Amino acid sequence: MNLSTEQSRRNFLRTLAIGAGGMAVLGSYGFIFQEESANGEIKAIVVDFTKCAGCRTCETACSAYNHQVEIDGQLMKGLGNPDLSNIKVWHYNPDVDIPVTCFLCEDAPCIEACPIAIDPVTGRKALYRDETFSTIKCDLDRCIGCGKCSKACHEKSGGVIFPNKETGKPERMCTLCDGDPQCVKYCPYGALQYLTITPDMPLRNTSPDKIAEKMIEQYYQGY
Amino acid sequence: MKGYNGIILEIDLTSETINKKQIPEEDLLNYIGGRGLGMKLLYDYLPEAGVDPLSPENPLLIMPGPFSGFPIPSSSRTCVVTKSPKTFPLSKKYEHSSTVSYSNMGGFVGPEIRFAGYDGLLITGKAKKPVYIFIEDDVVEIRNASRYWGMGTDKFDKYFIEDLRDRKFESFYIGPAGENLVPYASVINTAARAAGRGGVGCVMGSKNLKAVAVKGTGMPTVANHKDYLDLLEKARVSFSEDTDNRKFWRDEGTTGALKYSSDRGSQAVKNYSEGTFEGIENLATESARKKIWKRDFACFSCALSCTKSGYAKGAYGTMVHDAPEYETGTMLGANLMIDSLEGLAKLIFVADDYGMDIISAGNTIGFLMECYEKQLIDKDFLDGIDLQWGSVDASLQMLHKIGKMEGVGKLAAQGVKPLAGKIGKGSENFAIHVKGHELAAWNVPAYEKTGISYTTANRGACHLNGGDISEQDGIAIMDSLGACAFAEGWYKDELHYRHFLSALTGLEWSEKEFDKAGERIFNLEKMMNYREGFDRNDDILPERFYTNKFTMGPKEGAVVDREEFKNKMDEYYEARGWNKETSRPTDEKLEELGLGFLT
Repeated sequence: MNLSTEQSRRNFLRTLAIGAGGMAVLGSYGFIFQEESANGEIKAIVVDFTKCAGCRTCETACSAYNHQVEIDGQLMKGLGNPDLSNIKVWHYNPDVDIPVTCFLCEDAPCIEACPIAIDPVTGRKALYRDETFSTIKCDLDRCIGCGKCSKACHEKSGGVIFPNKETGKPERMCTLCDGDPQCVKYCPYGALQYLTITPDMPLRNTSPDKIAEKMIEQYYQGY
Repeated sequence: MKGYNGIILEIDLTSETINKKQIPEEDLLNYIGGRGLGMKLLYDYLPEAGVDPLSPENPLLIMPGPFSGFPIPSSSRTCVVTKSPKTFPLSKKYEHSSTVSYSNMGGFVGPEIRFAGYDGLLITGKAKKPVYIFIEDDVVEIRNASRYWGMGTDKFDKYFIEDLRDRKFESFYIGPAGENLVPYASVINTAARAAGRGGVGCVMGSKNLKAVAVKGTGMPTVANHKDYLDLLEKARVSFSEDTDNRKFWRDEGTTGALKYSSDRGSQAVKNYSEGTFEGIENLATESARKKIWKRDFACFSCALSCTKSGYAKGAYGTMVHDAPEYETGTMLGANLMIDSLEGLAKLIFVADDYGMDIISAGNTIGFLMECYEKQLIDKDFLDGIDLQWGSVDASLQMLHKIGKMEGVGKLAAQGVKPLAGKIGKGSENFAIHVKGHELAAWNVPAYEKTGISYTTANRGACHLNGGDISEQDGIAIMDSLGACAFAEGWYKDELHYRHFLSALTGLEWSEKEFDKAGERIFNLEKMMNYREGFDRNDDILPERFYTNKFTMGPKEGAVVDREEFKNKMDEYYEARGWNKETSRPTDEKLEELGLGFLT
């Protein structure tokens, strides 16, 4: 397991620094955390694409935690069906693998696109940013399943949100697993970390196609 | 049964019928899945012995195991099972006598078949025109693939996923070698993961089937959820430890074996005439890392990432999906006396792009190089190719000829046994095959277990067969579960495979029953070969290994002792419970294994 010790954190950051210039491409998380985080740090999932081997363990770990099942009255992790995962590793040829999960964009184009009026009491649209971990959530009672959030996410950010096949309501927004992201915990390659981020991290809110393009150029001279 | 979907997807390309067939529980219990269940289905579906492997009647089975699709680390393997177009008995009982074939690939497509709701695909018939099969959960369609026919596997891999407009699809496919019916054509997935051996791509080509695309959203249920979670957690913790074993696979992959094998005199060098290669440093890990490798990549839910991709620069500049690894690096490198890493990378890329088995291709080119050096054939025979030892360009020309089935390529595509038959003049002695199937990159002299592995393998010469009975039955089980042999070291004691299978199915698998299942599978294969006319006379090593002495390396002077090897084989048949004159499993043995229907 990749324990978020101070040591591993430093090593990780050093790798990113060495790999600067497009080698290390980072997942990006917004400033919005700053005010809400108790110690003033912004914590988010950061991806080092030079380490990802594309095994999709993260998908199974995410799915198992976020789709728990009740067995003999006890709530347990699910089987880990990757189709239900909120993180998705996209594979390309020439070989690169691009894990993408909700970037929690500071400008949140998904929320921007939500046509449901702001509730005067809660201050929320149907799609809103939750205070606890600054994750994007959907009020399923108010959501009309128009699909605009998903469209906005695909046009302006990582293309993470997908509408539910039956209801059209948005799915696949990262939950950060109540502060213990399972993708980070189980990544065998240390490619994912739950870290304090800085605003200068490259390739934020970017689609996997574009990230893949950069990585392919870097590795294979654009073959 | 829990742990399974319980369904085989049958597709007949002649009648264009699709049938979701319930698998009898008994078959799951006896043959587990993957290779084992595939063999039982092959037996059930082949109408009789002697079926032409390239006829519509020969089924092509794509078989993930019960582990495939669950995130059990390193369990993504998928076995392609069919009747081999690549093997021949010494005395033919039928015009088309051949062995069973099974070839194993990693990647993601096996798990995806399980997500779509199937435990395997069974493809029969022959399409009128090139087709591909489209599977999205319940939706199964046979679609036109004319525009892809002739396309190399690398280009196809890129275009196909674009056309499907959803990167969640996984696929497997053949290249021009399979289309042109090269008997050792491979099945490829994810650009370079190959079910390389035994001509499985040739059978796929004979059905006019270019590819299968599959996407699924489901998953089989498990019987004992808590046990499953506990075992999974323990396995993940175990794989998270930075052991030497893990380091080896991650840092070097099988490439690490290039130098190791050369140093211990067990490498196929210069058509197996040597066990050590002087130029090995140029091809080995350090060199590959410095010159080519950019990243490691892994199969589904695997912590070992043994595959290395990169880019070779220079005159042979090429994308490298997975190179060199031990088999490809030896067969197109050391075995041909090629020590240019970039040249080797190009050869590997081209062979993969045609979709041909690099082991058989490298072995065959090495054989021809030796024939040419000994002047048993001339340049005319080779369509003007100056096939000298060490020549990248000449080898490259040969690969193109083979992939296109042009001129000498048409002959070379048949492999070393038919070639030696044609060339004669003593070339049979250094035609390195067993039952017509070319040997792989591990040389034989001084390592008798390697010899046993080759002679007794049910698909013809096979380096992954295991050198003794216990290894062989164990490997049959791994191939049936979907487990990867490279990760075997992790699955011991409380993490033994049988505990996982017990949790998935809810059946308590004892060690004895587990081992017996492996033995059952191996014996079923053996009997299918036996009814085709393969007997002890076919379990023989190439003559070279008894007479040719290595001139260098730690095994200098080594040869296989004929008498000693014969005794070892006697012991093997006896321990197997087989008749040592004929090699046929005894009726008692078959009854004991629940194979009474074969007596």
